Amino acid sequence: MSRPHALLRAGFPFLKTLGMRRVTNHPTDVAVASDDTIYVLNRHALGGHVTALPFVDPGENWDQYLPRMGPDGWGDGEFIWPVSMVLDEDQTLFISDEELNRITLIDREGAFISKWGEPGDGDGELKGPAGIAIDRDSYVYVADALNHRVQKFTKQGKFVMSWGGIGQGDGQFNMPWGICVDENNDVYVADWRNDRIQKFDCEGKFLFSLGMSGTAKGEFQRPGGVDVDAHGDIYVADTGNDRVQQFDQNGRYLEQFFGDATLSDMSRSYLMTNAQSLRLREMSELEPQKRFRSPRAVRVDDKGRMFVADFKSYRVQVYQKEAIPLDASQIAQVPRSPTLFVN
Amino acid sequence: MLDRHVEDIAHLMRRAGFGLTGLELESHAGRSYDEILEDVLHPERFPAADDDIYDRYQGTVDEHEVHSAGLWIHRMVHTQRPLEEKIALFWHHVFATGMSKGEHRHSSNRQIDMFRSVGLGNFRTILLELSMDPAMLYWLDNNENHKDQPNENYGRELLELFSMGVGHYSEQDIKMAARAFTGWTFKQPIPQYTQGSYPAEFVFIESDHDDSEKTFLGETGRFNGQDIIDIIVKQPATARFICRHLYNFFVADEPQVPAWNQLPPGDPQAIDIMTQAFKDSDGEIRAVLRVMFSSDFFKQAKLRRVKSPAELVAGVLKLVGTEPVPASDITRYSAATTFMGQILYDPPSVEGWHTGHEWIDGGTLTERVNFAVDELADKNRIGVRKIIEALETQGESLSPSELVDRGAMLIGALHLDSVTRRALIEDVSVDGDLSLSSMGDSANASDRIVSLLQSLVSCREYQFA
Repeated sequence: MSRPHALLRAGFPFLKTLGMRRVTNHPTDVAVASDDTIYVLNRHALGGHVTALPFVDPGENWDQYLPRMGPDGWGDGEFIWPVSMVLDEDQTLFISDEELNRITLIDREGAFISKWGEPGDGDGELKGPAGIAIDRDSYVYVADALNHRVQKFTKQGKFVMSWGGIGQGDGQFNMPWGICVDENNDVYVADWRNDRIQKFDCEGKFLFSLGMSGTAKGEFQRPGGVDVDAHGDIYVADTGNDRVQQFDQNGRYLEQFFGDATLSDMSRSYLMTNAQSLRLREMSELEPQKRFRSPRAVRVDDKGRMFVADFKSYRVQVYQKEAIPLDASQIAQVPRSPTLFVN
Repeated sequence: MLDRHVEDIAHLMRRAGFGLTGLELESHAGRSYDEILEDVLHPERFPAADDDIYDRYQGTVDEHEVHSAGLWIHRMVHTQRPLEEKIALFWHHVFATGMSKGEHRHSSNRQIDMFRSVGLGNFRTILLELSMDPAMLYWLDNNENHKDQPNENYGRELLELFSMGVGHYSEQDIKMAARAFTGWTFKQPIPQYTQGSYPAEFVFIESDHDDSEKTFLGETGRFNGQDIIDIIVKQPATARFICRHLYNFFVADEPQVPAWNQLPPGDPQAIDIMTQAFKDSDGEIRAVLRVMFSSDFFKQAKLRRVKSPAELVAGVLKLVGTEPVPASDITRYSAATTFMGQILYDPPSVEGWHTGHEWIDGGTLTERVNFAVDELADKNRIGVRKIIEALETQGESLSPSELVDRGAMLIGALHLDSVTRRALIEDVSVDGDLSLSSMGDSANASDRIVSLLQSLVSCREYQFA
C-alpha cells in the first residue's frame, strides 16, 4: 500500500471515551483487534491486566467483554509492571513488562502462550523493556529502556540485532519508551529522556529526529508513545505536556490534541446509581475532566481512529481522522515560497 | 578511632538528612564543617528530584497511601537535597495531617510538596501556606467553619499544636481565631469516580467570612486569618514552641509535646539561643537551623536522638544502595516504617508521633533490627559491595579491631561505645584476622564482612541518630 500523494485534511473530531476507574485503571497502551474489540493494557501499583472492551456499547451483552487477562504476579501470563502491548496478525498479544524484563504472549482470551526475555545487558537481554512493535516481516522491536537501545527479535524471542546506547547524538537514546513501525518497516522511537522522536530503517540506520525539549508546538516533555498511520502521519503522546501531537511524514507539525473526553457509556451507568458522586460533580468545575492527564500511548488503527491511553484519567479517548487522499492531478505543485495570493 | 571532623559531619548529615556512608563522608573530609553546612542549608544549589522518572515508573502513586509513603522514602534515599526532605518530614510531624480521613492523595502529596517548598523559609509564610492547604483545611474541618456556624478545630490546633502551645492563649482567643478563618476553604474537586481524582484548590469565600471586630491575644481589629497568623508569629511563645520542636527533631529527644507546659526543656540554654535566632531573623527557619547546627550543643548531642522509623529505613537503604529508578516494591519501605510504628502520611493524631524512646518497644525494636540486618544480608547490593571493596583495599589483612573500626567508619562513622566495640572485636576474633590477600578466601572474607555489618547495624548505637 503506497501513501497518497497528499491529503485534504477535513478534520479530526473527538469520537468517544472508553473505560472508567476500576475497569481501565491507569491505561498504558491500547491495541485494536480486527473485530473491533479494544484491548486496554492497565497498570497497577504492582501488577497489571488487559481489559477487552467493545468499541460500541453491546447493551446487554457486556458479559462477552471485560475479562481481566493477566493477574498480578510473577508467574506465566502475569504482570508486575506492564508497559506496552501490540497485536500481531495472528491476533496474539505481545506485552512488555519492565519489571519482569520479559515479553509475554497471550491470546485474545488471555490464555498464556509463551514468554521470552532474560534480565541483563547482553545481546537479547533486557533491562526495563518498554515499547514493543512488530514489522511487516514479523520482527519484533523492543525499546530496551534502561539499556538505552532498541533490540530486534524474531517473534519467538531470538535476538537479531540491536542499536543505540546512552547519549544525545543521532541514534543514541536516553531511556526510550514508545516504539512503532510503519508500512515501510521504518522504526520510530520515543526517545523519552531526550525529548524527541527518532526514525530509523529496519536495520537501525538513523533517518531523522523530530522535536526537542519544551512546551511549544513540535516540542516535547518526556514523550511516552509514538505511532504512524497509513498516510505516514506521526502521532506522539507528549506525556509530560499532557497532549498528543500530530506531524506529517516529514516531521512537519500539524496539530495538537489536549483531550475532549465525555463520560463513557459505563461511566454514565455507574454514576446514575451513585447519588454522592452525582452531587459532587454538580459542585465541581468539570472542564479539566476533558483533558488528557499523562497520556502514555497513542495508537492509530486502519480506520483512522486515534486511541489515546489517558493514563491518569483511567480511560481511553478516541478521535477520528477525516482526510481524503489526493493524487498529483488534484493538488497544485509545491510552491517554492508561501503566498498571500487570495484563492 | 574516628576523626572528630568526620564524626561531626556524619552527625550533621544524620540529622539534617538521612546519613552518609563512610565513603561519602571521606569524600567530604577535605571540606570545612561550615562549608558543608551552607550547602545543606541551601538545597536549591543541588538538582531537584527527578519527578519525571518517578512519574514514569510510579505513576500510579495516587492510588495508595503506602505507595506515596514508599516513594517518599525513595526520595529520602536518593535526594541531593537531604534537608529539603528532612524539613518536610519535620513539618509533617508538627502539622500532622492524616491521609486516611479523606483519602484524597493529591492533597496529601501536595501538602508534602508545600513543606519541601517553603519549609526552610519564614514561619509566617509556612503558617499561611498551611492555612490555605486543602489537606489541612479538610483534616481540621475548616471547610466546615462558616460565618454563621464557626468550627473551632483549626483555630484551636493552630494555637495549641502548630504555634504557641498550651498555656499561652485563652478559649476566647481560639474562638476569635476560628472566626477569622471563616471562609477559608477549598473548591470542590471533581470526585474520583469515574475518571480519577483531581487536585483541590484553596478558595476564600468572602460571603462566608466573619468580618466583624475581634480581639485576639490582646489586639483588636476586623481580623482575617492572615492577621491572626501575623499576631501569632510575633508571640515569644511561638518562637520558643517552634524552637523546642526543632530541637526535639534535630538535636536531642525531648518529652512528648503534651508535657511541654509541665516539663522544662532538657537544655533551656539551647532553646534560648534558638529562640533568639528565631526572633532576630523574624522567624526564618533556615536562620534558626544555621545557629542550631553550628552550635556546640548540637555537636555534643551525638546519638542523643532515637531515629524515627523513616530515618532508620532511609538510612539503611542509603547504606545498602538502591537504584535511582524506584523499585516496583517500594511499598515494602513504607511497610517497614509502619511495622516500626510510623505510617507516613497517616500520623496517629493531629499531635503527630510520640518520639524518642517511645519509638522503641520489644516489637518495634525487633522490626528495626531485622530490617537493617535483612537489607545488609545481600553482599551483591551496590552499597554492600562498595564497602567490601573498600575493605579489600586495606592491605593484606585486617586485625579484628581494625576490621570493627573500619566497618564502623564505612557504615557512616558510627561511634561505638567501648563495651560494644569490645564485644564486636571479641566476636570477630573467633575467626582471627581477616585475610584479604587470597582470592580463594574472598568469598569467605566478604561473608565475614557482611556478618560484621549486620552486627554493627544491630548495635544499640545504630538505633540513635
